[in-house]
Amino acid sequence: MAAPALAEAQVATRSRRRPSARRRDRLIGWLLVTPALAYFLIFLLYPALSALYYSFTDWNLRSDAAWVGLANYADLLFDDVKFPHFWKSVGVTLQYTLIAVPLTLVSALAQALLLNAIRRGANLFRLLLFLPVVTAEAAVGAIWRWLYDPQYGLINAVLGLFGIPGQNWLNTPELVIPALAFIAAWQCGISMIIYLAGLKGIPGAITEAAVIDGAGPWQRFWRVTFPMLRPTTFYLLVTGVIAALQVFGLVYVIFSGNGRSVTGGPEQSGLTYVLHLYLFAFRYDAMGAACAMSFILLVFIMIVTALQFRFVKQEAA
Amino acid sequence: MRKAPFYVALVLLAAVSVVPFLWMLATSVKHGQDIYSKVPNLLPLDKKTGEWAATLDNYDYVLDVGGLGNAFVNSVWVCAILVPAKLLVDALAAYAFARIPFPGRDKLFVIMLGGMMVPAITLLVPRIHVTQALGMFDSGWGLIVPNIASVLDIFLLRQFFLSIPAELEEAALIDGAGRMQIFWRIVLPLSKPVLAVVTITSFLFHWNDLVWPLVVTNDPELYTLPLALQQLVASPDGGRAYYIMAGATLAVLPVIAVLIVFQRRILQGIAFTGLKA
Amino acid sequence: MSRGLVRGPIATALAVALATGLAACGSGGGNGSADKTLTFWMYQDRTPQAGQVIEKVRKDFEKANPGVTVKLVKIPKDDYNTKLGSAVASKSAPDAGILDQPLVSKYALDGTIKEAPAGLIDEAGFYKGALDTNRANGKLYGLPQDQTTVALFYNKKLVPTPPKTWDELKQTAARVHAADAKVAGMNVPKGDGYGAWILPGVVHGAGGQMVDDAGKKVLFDQPPAVEALQLWVDLVKSSPRQITDSDKPFENGLAAMTISGPWDVPTIHEQFPDLDFGVAPLPYKTEPAGNIGGEDSVVFSSSKNADLAWKWLAFLANETNNGAVADAFGGFPVNLKAQVVAGGPEQAAFLEQLKVAHARPAVPQWIQVNDEIIAPAIESALTGKVTAQQALTEAAGKTRSLLGWNG
Repeated sequence: MAAPALAEAQVATRSRRRPSARRRDRLIGWLLVTPALAYFLIFLLYPALSALYYSFTDWNLRSDAAWVGLANYADLLFDDVKFPHFWKSVGVTLQYTLIAVPLTLVSALAQALLLNAIRRGANLFRLLLFLPVVTAEAAVGAIWRWLYDPQYGLINAVLGLFGIPGQNWLNTPELVIPALAFIAAWQCGISMIIYLAGLKGIPGAITEAAVIDGAGPWQRFWRVTFPMLRPTTFYLLVTGVIAALQVFGLVYVIFSGNGRSVTGGPEQSGLTYVLHLYLFAFRYDAMGAACAMSFILLVFIMIVTALQFRFVKQEAA
Repeated sequence: MRKAPFYVALVLLAAVSVVPFLWMLATSVKHGQDIYSKVPNLLPLDKKTGEWAATLDNYDYVLDVGGLGNAFVNSVWVCAILVPAKLLVDALAAYAFARIPFPGRDKLFVIMLGGMMVPAITLLVPRIHVTQALGMFDSGWGLIVPNIASVLDIFLLRQFFLSIPAELEEAALIDGAGRMQIFWRIVLPLSKPVLAVVTITSFLFHWNDLVWPLVVTNDPELYTLPLALQQLVASPDGGRAYYIMAGATLAVLPVIAVLIVFQRRILQGIAFTGLKA
Repeated sequence: MSRGLVRGPIATALAVALATGLAACGSGGGNGSADKTLTFWMYQDRTPQAGQVIEKVRKDFEKANPGVTVKLVKIPKDDYNTKLGSAVASKSAPDAGILDQPLVSKYALDGTIKEAPAGLIDEAGFYKGALDTNRANGKLYGLPQDQTTVALFYNKKLVPTPPKTWDELKQTAARVHAADAKVAGMNVPKGDGYGAWILPGVVHGAGGQMVDDAGKKVLFDQPPAVEALQLWVDLVKSSPRQITDSDKPFENGLAAMTISGPWDVPTIHEQFPDLDFGVAPLPYKTEPAGNIGGEDSVVFSSSKNADLAWKWLAFLANETNNGAVADAFGGFPVNLKAQVVAGGPEQAAFLEQLKVAHARPAVPQWIQVNDEIIAPAIESALTGKVTAQQALTEAAGKTRSLLGWNG
């Protein structure tokens, strides 16, 4: 596409650009980033700093914020009278992350391996497997509330075919998180596509060499394919964990409705961190504390991400 | 057939993917009480007689009374303006970050990347303040402008631009082409896969986004699809599954259509980005 | 500038092309602000008919006040307080709006809403209980628009005569479930925000209270409250959650009884015409009792049309309109002279219940106590993890600490 003339020109010596051109670059460079920079300053940096300020205040959205120093942070971490469910929400979120992320990755990888192994119909299957991920959370929540219904739901009906007794999925504290994680795994399309790309990127020669060495499919997967997919898995793991720690929309829709208040499912079993934050921000009149919660989450995300990077570095060494 | 087991597994997985949608579709054309059948069925059958009984009344209701028709138009407008505008803003910045040397460039990029880690929910209320101060609260612009760029997208685009051989551009520079000419004529055409990814992910995000439209609009005339759908879910009569499913179908169908038409470009695009980063 | 974006001619054309009968253009441009526009926020219509009632009142008001446009903004109840909070925080609150009863005193105390002008209404012409939910520090900060209460819905096929007392209620539920294991005796409230909201009415039925009248003492660890929660625990035995947690169990004949309000009557009739049901006052232990709820309306301090806004609120609550308005909101009039819209045979039970209904505790943090402390306590008792007494003793302790009360 890029004209052959260009390829020819590559051979030409790389002269340093003239000062006037450099000055022009400086101007154009700043010009090009200006819109994005304006967005960053106005809609990202300023709000972040202002949220940081509010996290040190007592603020109910209506009256002026009153400076309270570190009180919000201390109360969140140590005062189980003011925030009886803070640590519960941390636990719920961790549990969700620990179940949903691996489940999503395994399901995405399995789908990608299967798709990679076939030719005919691969496009159709890929499309079908990708469908769930394009659906709005509001719609996903509504659909799955029905699928999980203890009387009319499809899930219990299917289990019934295998003689498994129906469960009251969204109203049994122990089942709420697995039920939500399953929805997350159902929506693993993006991860699946990225895995598929990773698989296509594995040079055929390496796999062939393994075949010649007499490796069976199982060995080939563990010795060749899976190690080659390490960077992909790592990327999906990091982004998956960050997203899972912030899960909100789905729980909000699943547990709202009937004009009833969203309190996070039976015994707060679905009270994820961000839902908890949301309730304090908009229902219990404690925006200051909600802002503090979000910075605790930010620090936590940074720590978890750093740990993951370090772990990978050690592995590689 | 050596591959038969693969196909069996794929058919099962695809069924898990698709059956919820079929059920949604079936429920959306059922009459009131037919949704409460003891044996869940994927066909709109009369609960008592077992005869075929499909209706489009639910669609009439959600489009008109439920306000989904208006919301649909709003969503189309917002995405039609926002997605291309955002792509342009992101691509220009990404190109500068990738290719044009200017002082402070790399520091600025790192700082912007840091901003990506702040949980979105934190920024919600201060963002509302800013939007209000700019006079865009409760307006169409308020749905668009505060979302006009994405640091993640800039990051993805920059990574891709970096992978384009620099020699191509240098040669063009020597031939006297300007930066903008190079951007339009060389970089963008070579970046179709990543542009496709960024376009589709940002379309999906904004088409489905519930939280920002919820807090930034008051006027029901401005509601977007997910907001109108949430109205059906949280309606005071406890939410009626056949209405909700009709609404969900209307929200999902256009996306599926886009996906089918552009599936090659979209899915391969995501693959191409390959996240070599 | 901005409205053009989604209301332009192309948008309108598109809307028409996409589906029939869309109301995409609203009431036309109307950008000119020569005339006064009053914005009023309310909950989403319960039924299309309710929407028409309010629409008629709106037109009447505009006719009586030439040059005035009233703009109604309808928001789902679940999202209402979020939107209102955002709007107040960004100084874009409406002129007036519905406000949840427990929020009135909060908003009044921090100056978000205006005090009602003297002489706005004849206070003696209103139900005192409903009017009092609008007071803070003895001053009036809003007008009630409707009052409502919950009562016992029963499936006539399964429950020929409704139970009057707790004992009868338990026996009835047990009998229904024993006769058909697939049917639950009652859709027992759950440990969520809604269940915690219902509980006080049941506690009153045993002669108790959640907190004392002065709002200084927690009383829900006392015997009446414990007995009320124990009643639910007992009822769950004949009402498996596996059945009652499905979609609309009462309406589908899977639960013989449930607790709900007048707003549910028309929707059940419309959606489940075959269901033969009746409504009776809540069963009680020592004295008939129930909950009072309903909608209050207030004027926001930021309003530039406060006088007009109060006029509109008073218009909604006046003798002529309040009957229809309250009915549209799903409750009963608060104006003593307003005509109750004649309803079906169910109405009597609600009206009777209303006579003995008690207001929610007037404690500013009550929403948080309701959601975060009482709801989980109910749930842990219902699931049998702890006894009713243990659950409420612990919850009361937490509430005392949170509110800083020593009683």
